[in-house]
Amino acid sequence: MIVASSKPFQEIKQMLSGFKKICVLGCGSCVTICHTGGEKQVTELAAQLRLSAKLEGGQIEVVEDSTLRQCEWEFVEDIKEIVKDCDAVLSIACGVGVQYMAERFPKIRVFPGVNTTFMGGPIEQGIFWERCAGCGNCILATTGGLCPVSRCAKSLLNGPCGGSQNGKCEVSQETPCVWNQIYDQLDTQQLLATMETIIPPKDWTTGMENHPRKMILEHLVMKKQIS
Amino acid sequence: MQNDKLKFKGGNEEAPCILACPIRQDARDYVQLIARGRFSEAFRLVRERNPLPSACGRICIHPCETKCRRNSTEAPIAIAWLKRFLGDNFSEETRERTTEKYPERIAIIGAGPAGLAAANDLALLGYSCTIFESNSTPGGMLRMGVPTYRLPRTAIDKDVEFIKKLGVEIKYNTTLGVDITFDSLKREGFSAIFIGVGLLESRTLNIEGVNLDGVLKGVSFLHEVNTKGNAKIGKNVLVIGGGAVAMDCARTALRLKPQKVSVACLESRKEMPTTDFEIEEAIHEGVALYNSVGPKRILGKDGKVSGLETLKVKYVFDEQKRFNPAFYEGSESVIEADTIILAIGQASNLSFLKGQEGIQVTRGGTIIVNPSTFRTTVHGVYAGGDIVLGRGTMTESMAQGKKAAIAIHNALRNTTLKDEEWSDKPAVPDLATSRIALIKKEQKQEMPAMMPLDKRLNSFDEVELGFPLDIAVREAQRCMNCGAGAFVDDNLCVGCLTCVRICPFEVPKIKKGDTTAYIDGDCQSCGLCIVECPAKAISFKTPLEDRGKDTLEAVFQEKFIQGIKPLIVNFYCQYSAYNEDKIDTLNNLLFFHVRRIGVLGLGKVDPSLYLKAFELGAHGVLVTACKDDTCHFCKEREWVERRTKFTTQLLSGLGMDTRRFKTHFISSQTGKEILGLAFKMVEELKDLPL
Repeated sequence: MIVASSKPFQEIKQMLSGFKKICVLGCGSCVTICHTGGEKQVTELAAQLRLSAKLEGGQIEVVEDSTLRQCEWEFVEDIKEIVKDCDAVLSIACGVGVQYMAERFPKIRVFPGVNTTFMGGPIEQGIFWERCAGCGNCILATTGGLCPVSRCAKSLLNGPCGGSQNGKCEVSQETPCVWNQIYDQLDTQQLLATMETIIPPKDWTTGMENHPRKMILEHLVMKKQIS
Repeated sequence: MQNDKLKFKGGNEEAPCILACPIRQDARDYVQLIARGRFSEAFRLVRERNPLPSACGRICIHPCETKCRRNSTEAPIAIAWLKRFLGDNFSEETRERTTEKYPERIAIIGAGPAGLAAANDLALLGYSCTIFESNSTPGGMLRMGVPTYRLPRTAIDKDVEFIKKLGVEIKYNTTLGVDITFDSLKREGFSAIFIGVGLLESRTLNIEGVNLDGVLKGVSFLHEVNTKGNAKIGKNVLVIGGGAVAMDCARTALRLKPQKVSVACLESRKEMPTTDFEIEEAIHEGVALYNSVGPKRILGKDGKVSGLETLKVKYVFDEQKRFNPAFYEGSESVIEADTIILAIGQASNLSFLKGQEGIQVTRGGTIIVNPSTFRTTVHGVYAGGDIVLGRGTMTESMAQGKKAAIAIHNALRNTTLKDEEWSDKPAVPDLATSRIALIKKEQKQEMPAMMPLDKRLNSFDEVELGFPLDIAVREAQRCMNCGAGAFVDDNLCVGCLTCVRICPFEVPKIKKGDTTAYIDGDCQSCGLCIVECPAKAISFKTPLEDRGKDTLEAVFQEKFIQGIKPLIVNFYCQYSAYNEDKIDTLNNLLFFHVRRIGVLGLGKVDPSLYLKAFELGAHGVLVTACKDDTCHFCKEREWVERRTKFTTQLLSGLGMDTRRFKTHFISSQTGKEILGLAFKMVEELKDLPL
């Protein structure tokens, strides 16, 4: 899933300064699960905005709503009536959702309430770690199912490097060295010999080097395109 | 909530206590209201279904408690005693009658539990009812049979007063078959007659010696003591029987000061058909108990009783579990006695049916009715209660009266009104074994200040003195709110697993193949998952739980509230609110500056509600949570701490002075500690620019 973290309130406040009627809009998918963009956070952020205005002697109207997924035109359409009277929308969906909003409602100012950070998951309740870098050319088959691209500080394809100390990464003692983990995993699977195969330089053009990326499923494309 | 049936949502499993009750009294919900200090509403809820709450709270055999799921953690909630607490201390004067008025008048024979319940419910449906009672006072067997040390007559009178206020007329000293007849009632214009006369006679034994001088019948003996305050007995009294009436006879006899009172019954101690409590009290008061003995013959001397010859019982119930006692031959022994009271069951007196051969009766002397319409075999005549059941409890008789009331209404109006409360519902299953260890054990509150023995036996005053307010609340707060806890809205749940991971009782699950969480009947209603669910997919089934929101909004409805500076809103945990005698300890200064919002467990309060308090106009928010050992829930402290940190971060983000939001963990919400904290906050905020 996509993981996002809340923006500092002061930044949000600055963005929204001067607007009188604001819609705080959550998204019911990834950002709900990572507790930054769900209905609960909509309520909290709206309360903060109102209270902040009150503390400064002003008054704003805050509308609270959420969509099932902000990255679908049909779901975004559902909130047309709600946002039409608003001066601004504070979307706490990931960057995809924010852009869908901005594209669908070009006359309304749309602002991001979260920083979209990575693709990952909760390794335990409340703790999220990056697990995928979206490189477009997956090598997990050769690394015991552990991704060095997203989990190694240097994205090394042939590790570990000399900075691996007692299973930890030299960059941060909190970060496990993924190449150490890959070694252990392959050992468990009796595939340690795999470590000796050098992974050749990767074609990075399938990844972040090649924006914007696009995927077409020919068999599903309708004649009349959505949007 | 007045007169409104509580509206529950999500799931249809009903609390076992409610299902166990013959009248389907909302036991869980009135207990929950008591736990929240909402006593008048609790009484109103009781009264909605129960026409005799004060009496019922004392003598009901409380099948609700037998089924209470707290039995598996330590002991059931004292549901009946809590009802008595309400009946003794609260009243309902404002209950509105239906605006519907029907022209038909209903005659009810007998002012006992069945008759009173029928009259009560028929009056509420819009009918004029007249009860004809052969005695000069109401209550039927409650007054004639139950001793005053168990049921003071003021309790009956209070209950009956309410029924009279509904417009029910009671004509005393009027006996069917003597002063009035079925024909005279019809001539007077009554459209329906309900017979609820009960069982007025004692069953007798068919053994040698029953006619000897000194053999008394239980019901007559109790009736005599209850009306005259005395009865003639000897020095050595033996009661035959093992049920509630036998215990009543024995304990009543004790108060007439003989030298000895004994009880002999067929049943073993465990088989005796009365509550343990009654047996224990009888023994405690000095009654000698002879179990598993059957009466062979009553011995006499000069025409007077001298003892009872008994046989040892082999078994009371046969293999088909029918009452069919068998005895050991040659096991005779003698219990000496100069008075023998027969309390082996009651029988009907059907003399009022003379000339009414159309009304069919059973061989056992009960009236035959259609069990769903309560019609006898004569048109327009209905019957219910003990005269139909043969043997029933007070609540079973009330249930009959209530059901008959609806049946009579349906017959007269040709409608199909149905009381949904009696419909079949699945019960919340027993607590999972693994759960029991996770739930805090909470000692059942004892009935306080039971009258000491020497005083008891010198009077017919009530033995149980009733719960005082703080004890009642403590007891009610043990309730696990079965079937009314959290539930997940499948349409909103995103399957994030937060509830599954954080529940201290390990209740929520995502069942195999499902994509949404499921919370079963073991939910303890702590509300942690409701607050943490990012999709707001979880809420309480019970409408009694607003998690502080409605109370907060109500506070700010107060006139001139915005003029108070500083104004502090105190969110406090109600689980530690009633552990001292003094409830209202906020002094005048604080009374002016502080508004209190009690929530049953602060784990269910959303941090955004604290912000809301500021938004509405509070200058300070003071959270006073329980210390671990004083709260009903587990992990409350941990979560209140987390949320305090979180809320502080939100408020700091706004640039708010952190002195305006404080959390403390205290052992009492009513003592000096809270007073000091509130006072300190008021003083601190006075100096801040507000």
